[in-house]
Amino acid sequence: MPFLPSMRLMLFMLGSIGLITLPHAWHIPPLLFGFFTLLLLWRLLCIWRPHYLPNRVVVFLLMLTGIGLLYSQQHSIFGRDAGTSLFVVALGLKMLEIHGRRDIYVIVYLAFIVAVTQFLYEESILMAVYILLVCGVLLATLITQNSQTPQTMAALKTSATIILQSLPLALVLFVLFPRLEAPHWSWLDDDTRAKSGLSNTLEPGSIAELSLSPELVFRVKFDGALPPPSQRYWRGPVYANTDGTSWRAPPVLGRENNPDQPVFTGATYDYTLMMEPQKQNWVFALEMPTEFGGGLRRNGLYQLITNKNPGDRAEYRLSSSPTYNTGGISKTERRENLQLPGKPSEKIVTLVKQLQGQPDRPELFIANLLQHFRQENFHYTLSPEAMPDQPIETFLFERRAGFCSHYATAFVYLLRVAEIPARVVGGYQGGQINEVGGFLEIRQADAHAWAEAWLDGRGWVRFDPTAAVAPERIERGVNVDLQIASGAVNFSPLQLDAKTLSWLQRGRQLWQSVDYNWQRWIINYDTVNQKAFLQSLGVDNFVKLGYWLLISVAGIGGVLAWRLLRPNLRRQDPALVLYRQFCAKLGKAGLRVEIGDGPQTVAERAKELRPDLAEAIERIAATYIRLRYQNDSKIEDLRVLKMLVTSFRV
Amino acid sequence: MTEAALSLKQRLNLSRFFSGEAPTAGPIVLTQRRVFILPTQRGLAFVLLILLLVLIGFVYNNNLAYLLGFLLASIFFVTILHSFKALAGLTIQPARQQAVFAGQAGPFRFQISNPGSQPRFAVDLTLQSELSISLAAEQSQTVTLYQPTRQRGWQLPGTLTLSSTYPLGLFRAWAPLRFDSPLLVYPKPASQQLPFPDSDGGQDKPGQNRRSGDEFYGLRAYQQGDAIRQIHWKTFAKGLGVHSKQYSGASSSELWLDYQQVPGHHTEERLSQLCRWVVDAEQTGLRYGLLLPGLRLPPDNGATHYRNCLQALALF
Repeated sequence: MPFLPSMRLMLFMLGSIGLITLPHAWHIPPLLFGFFTLLLLWRLLCIWRPHYLPNRVVVFLLMLTGIGLLYSQQHSIFGRDAGTSLFVVALGLKMLEIHGRRDIYVIVYLAFIVAVTQFLYEESILMAVYILLVCGVLLATLITQNSQTPQTMAALKTSATIILQSLPLALVLFVLFPRLEAPHWSWLDDDTRAKSGLSNTLEPGSIAELSLSPELVFRVKFDGALPPPSQRYWRGPVYANTDGTSWRAPPVLGRENNPDQPVFTGATYDYTLMMEPQKQNWVFALEMPTEFGGGLRRNGLYQLITNKNPGDRAEYRLSSSPTYNTGGISKTERRENLQLPGKPSEKIVTLVKQLQGQPDRPELFIANLLQHFRQENFHYTLSPEAMPDQPIETFLFERRAGFCSHYATAFVYLLRVAEIPARVVGGYQGGQINEVGGFLEIRQADAHAWAEAWLDGRGWVRFDPTAAVAPERIERGVNVDLQIASGAVNFSPLQLDAKTLSWLQRGRQLWQSVDYNWQRWIINYDTVNQKAFLQSLGVDNFVKLGYWLLISVAGIGGVLAWRLLRPNLRRQDPALVLYRQFCAKLGKAGLRVEIGDGPQTVAERAKELRPDLAEAIERIAATYIRLRYQNDSKIEDLRVLKMLVTSFRV
Repeated sequence: MTEAALSLKQRLNLSRFFSGEAPTAGPIVLTQRRVFILPTQRGLAFVLLILLLVLIGFVYNNNLAYLLGFLLASIFFVTILHSFKALAGLTIQPARQQAVFAGQAGPFRFQISNPGSQPRFAVDLTLQSELSISLAAEQSQTVTLYQPTRQRGWQLPGTLTLSSTYPLGLFRAWAPLRFDSPLLVYPKPASQQLPFPDSDGGQDKPGQNRRSGDEFYGLRAYQQGDAIRQIHWKTFAKGLGVHSKQYSGASSSELWLDYQQVPGHHTEERLSQLCRWVVDAEQTGLRYGLLLPGLRLPPDNGATHYRNCLQALALF
């Protein structure tokens, strides 16, 4: 017998398959996705034109085509991209080959696998909701398959009910199921997405590109009060080697194992920092980190490095203190931080001498230099003219307009000429407060560069020459929304007025807050978080965890069972209930009441059987008939019937 | 409609899960005692799917993959309850059975009602034949399922199994039920068409032929059911075909079917022949009586008489 799935079933199934694969259009090579779309449309057409279904030979040829395409596009079946393509192509081919109910199940199960691969690309709350909805349609497909009278809305409603009933248990499993850190298998890696961010090399200009990007870098939630804006320096890479135009991180490997321990004084800030996926394994701690958990180490440049995959979102518990003393300096370090690409020009030497005043007073020189920036008509701009040759001299003596990296590099260069060890520090400065969630959002636009000079007795001290020129940059930070409004960043063709902007900002903050919690509690719930959370519940070993699992499953199951299985009877007519009692009593006397026997018939037969009770039987039947079938019944009749039935004895 | 409690031994009796408990007259309400649930093959494949999703979650450290895996796992769990709900509360009782001749498919009729306010989808009923029904809320339906009959006498329906894989097909809930509602099976009518016997109803009075008083009034072509004595052998010998003699008077169509005078090697063959004659006689509209050892049903005609005769033959 050929299996003919109903049209509704096919529409349900193909619809959900279309929905489930749709977001993959951005991940799968166009050729493969086109092949899949072709198969889907083909199958869709066959709902109305069944004779267009391909025969075995054509299916086989299509399969060969699919394999060929897979091989040419992915060269492998392992890894995220190749695996996803494999499942999508398999799903497409399987659709053309439905011979029985079993095949429907194979297709639906494949679709679930394709659904899960979406999460390997995107873990946003929107994607999760989307996949959940599609899963509802997939379940509805199964319901349609298993019920005889499938109605579209009824099937969808049932599947929604099942999903809603399953969610609590799923969440409990999610929380309690032991998270084990999977080993990192390199053959599964094929993440080639380009990410923006700070790089290993600092070239004046690179940060200017970042400062136009509203992309989120990390979010920070402080346990207590926030540090003032002027202290919100998030330390990243340190640039000490220069060739005059670009700056690089120094080779720190030799000293990494033995960095000087800074001495901290004053209050510390405790906070949770959630890094978005990055390309570098840098963690931008508030200057200067005092404590950091496992998985992090501090290199000799006081930058935090994670050993986790930077492509994954990760959360860290950190403490920082804004007042610190890093102590002494080694000879190598001194040499490294005085390095110059060549002999400085006369103009620069003159400037340094002019600002130096007394020798051996580095603080004085630095103060004079900052004063120089402030007074000598320097400007802050995000779009300076290019300075390809001798950028520092051009900047200092001709253009006098630039942004943080121009100021920081020029500042460090001048300090080194004056024999003060100095270096450029990259990172982020400021951040925007999300008032809804009470956390700071740090975006690429907050990228910043500042300087650090080593001073005897104080260690490495931070100086921000940009602040001398544009203090508002430090105090208020980069306002992404203002940049959008001014047209520096443009993703909306609309001209926004202030009111809309404020609404937009509120909405965005609300959404960011939801997203932050989503990232924190769902996406980022890992071994460490789980351990901490379970310990706060008092679960510290596997036996206890087992009990918790058991109790939760039993509890939720019990509540569900009670909700689902309690008798669903409608309130019955009390007269009918009494009549049934009467029939049961007659049954004891040996009278079998068949379905369809009316009260009159029952009474006749009962009277034949027990003539001694004829009067009572007659009265009961008459009262019951009046109650059930006549308009003029009174409320007393029910009482009479009750009395009669109760006193009826066989 | 409370049922007798089961002892532990009875509860764990394996046959309860497949062929059901001892037959009852019904009605039976499907409760947790009657409904069994096990995952189907598709359900087991679903478990593999869940494991795969959790594995993907593990390999890629992807919490949403874990979450989807756990969601499917708890859907699997919740479906057990829904599977039970697909059958729970249904009330089944046997309806009045209609007798059949041995060899025919025996129709067993059951009345199944859904007292709940939820419709039931795709409830499969299996006896020997299968049927799939859906019941709206508070709806009753009478279904007829067939089971082959071989022997005359009372025949009990085998195990009636109600099952459903609603809603997702991951679990099959089933309830094997046995009912004490026998079907009367008449003997199988003989296939041979023998002429009616010539019997006197057991009143052995020689010389007193029952037809002596009747007047011969003509011949007619032989009809099925005519007695052998009525055959006009002369016309037959002349090669003019088989004709029966026709007598006037009511008694001419009165016929006695006597067990003692039936040809046949054994009881069943004789009963089978008698059955045939009863059927033929009722069809022809003759008045017929039945004589069985220890039973005498005087000549009569009509549905009740016909049933009584056949029942006597069935239970002989």
